[in-house]
Amino acid sequence: MSEDRAVRRPRGRKPRRKVCSFCVDKIEYIDYKDVNRLRRFTNERGKILPRRMSGNCAKHQRQLSEAIKRARAIALMPYTVD
Amino acid sequence: MNKYEVIYIIDTAMEEGARKELIQKFADLIAANGGAVEKVDEWGKRRLAYAIDYKVEGYYVLMQFTAGPDVPKELQRNLQINENVIRSQVVKLLQKKSSVKPRPVRAPFAAPAVEAPVAAPVQEAAPAAPAAEEAPAASQEAPAAAPAEA
Repeated sequence: MSEDRAVRRPRGRKPRRKVCSFCVDKIEYIDYKDVNRLRRFTNERGKILPRRMSGNCAKHQRQLSEAIKRARAIALMPYTVD
Repeated sequence: MNKYEVIYIIDTAMEEGARKELIQKFADLIAANGGAVEKVDEWGKRRLAYAIDYKVEGYYVLMQFTAGPDVPKELQRNLQINENVIRSQVVKLLQKKSSVKPRPVRAPFAAPAVEAPVAAPVQEAAPAAPAAEEAPAASQEAPAAAPAEA
């Protein structure tokens, strides 16, 4: 029944408001050494998740990508996982 | 004067004494160029996220210092010359905001991996053995367990 309804409203998916987790935690500087936190924003291949998936605000997404790239450069995080 | 942070990876093949000297050398270099080293944090041996020159482990050292704008360049140059430094990175710290997260890094690595296995033996042995004996044993286990988990 619920599947039927999903098919019947192709465009009508409930918009769920995503909130930036960094804003929620009041983090002003995303540290590249905080690997456990950064890892949540990469997929299993090590790619950085886009904003539409992570729900981050633009400001924090920019900081986040910078932090992940720094972490990669110093081998704290992988560039790719295969 | 700006605040900077340098992180570098030393080859694990290096002897402890030589490694200490090397770390001291970089600290002296900063001081010689008019900077002030505020913190030297040796993370110790850690697994690299990917192999660098076929090495899978490295000895991480983190330093925070205050210095003029030309010091990072000089430091980076020296780090790159040294063959025992596998990789290095100098980062400028933001003056106002970095205080939010002083150091959340190390605890998560050691703590969640280790606490579960260690907690049980400590509780069992605690009544029999004195607590002083237990503490060093737990701390010895910690570095050994962490890399295996990672």
